[in-house]
Amino acid sequence: MTDELIMEAVKRGELQQATLLFERYHKRIFNFLARMTMDRALAEDLTQNVFLRIIKYRTSYREGNKFQSWIYQVARNVFSDHYQANKNKFSDFVDVEKISDHMADLEEHEAQDEKEKLLHQSMARLSEEQRELLVLTRFQQMKYEEVAAIMDTTVANIKVKVHRAILKLREYYFEMEKI
Amino acid sequence: MEKQKLESMLIDYIDNRLNTVDKRVVEQELVNNAESYKLYEELKEVMHLMDRSARIEPSAKLRAGFDDLLKEEMTSARQTKTVFFQPALYRVAAAVALLILGGGIGFWISHQREERQLAERERLEALEKQMQITQQMMAMLQNGQSASQRIQGVNVAVSMGKADDEIVNALVKTMNEDPNSNVRLAALDALSKFSDDAAVRKALVTSLQKQKDPVVQISLIQLLVKMKEKSVVNDLRKIVDDEKTMQAVKDEAYSGILRLS
Repeated sequence: MTDELIMEAVKRGELQQATLLFERYHKRIFNFLARMTMDRALAEDLTQNVFLRIIKYRTSYREGNKFQSWIYQVARNVFSDHYQANKNKFSDFVDVEKISDHMADLEEHEAQDEKEKLLHQSMARLSEEQRELLVLTRFQQMKYEEVAAIMDTTVANIKVKVHRAILKLREYYFEMEKI
Repeated sequence: MEKQKLESMLIDYIDNRLNTVDKRVVEQELVNNAESYKLYEELKEVMHLMDRSARIEPSAKLRAGFDDLLKEEMTSARQTKTVFFQPALYRVAAAVALLILGGGIGFWISHQREERQLAERERLEALEKQMQITQQMMAMLQNGQSASQRIQGVNVAVSMGKADDEIVNALVKTMNEDPNSNVRLAALDALSKFSDDAAVRKALVTSLQKQKDPVVQISLIQLLVKMKEKSVVNDLRKIVDDEKTMQAVKDEAYSGILRLS
């Protein structure tokens, strides 16, 4: 059954069906938010919030719309609401030097080599929009078309912005490597 | 090649998104330009690092939290179900019913208002009509050229059913002062219709002292006796004792004294 059909059932009041959507999406949404916040515990809380909104505001899901775009839009809203509520932007308070410690906890199964550390530190220096674009297109391997649908813009626009973000990341990465 | 274009092409080249022709162009550039090759290597490193980055596993807490929130939502949805009409059809039906009810109430209120306005208008028209009649009557009583016109004015007053001060005063004046005795009698007759009214009663009693027309005097005595107006006994005695009083009037007065005492 497609995500859309399941969501339509949830909208009609078959709330139990939301479990299926949780199975399909919770890891992706958690990963997206973990990469965005670089804080595992916070990412879990925010992921829970995303599913709470999906269920609570189920009637606002428009039939025929792609579910994936909708849930990512909700996740983006949850993320930005969190930082707006804290009157802070991620980049205003994240200490780049400590990112590797956060991520050590975050990526317990990953080899914590220098390159990984550098990557996360460089990611943290990007603007929120650039980081988001790279999380979606590289870490989550979404197609430009899918990202364009989530961000409600054109594919060409997404491509240009992703390219700029990669170039900026490369710049920060090799800048830090020299230190 | 323009730097921006090259950068973009290098990214697409790493992602294997270029057509054969562009691929050739990039490869040529990489062979010929050491700086471009360095850029390519660097881009490839960060891009592959991102692509290879492992998926992060959430803790079991996330699933447990979701199960709890779903349970909670299902319970609250069941509760609200009893309050709201769940199937869309019922909701639509309820909305339509509310719309009809609202429309009905609105119509009823405006209808009531119209009726009130109509009643008010009728009342005002009636009042206006009565005022016109009163004015006509007063004009006929006071300025009527002929006795018959003035009598007609008196009759109009009688037809009004209820006398206000203005009408009573006009009738009393006519009864006391009109030059024609028929008109005076008619006025007296009209006043007798309103004899339950305290003001009319008082006016009739006072009139007895002033009245000089024997025909009117007799009628007035008869009326006051009929009204059982005992306060006029002294006045009747004065009439009996007055030498100038006509015999017929004296007889009527005497008879009145006997009946009222």
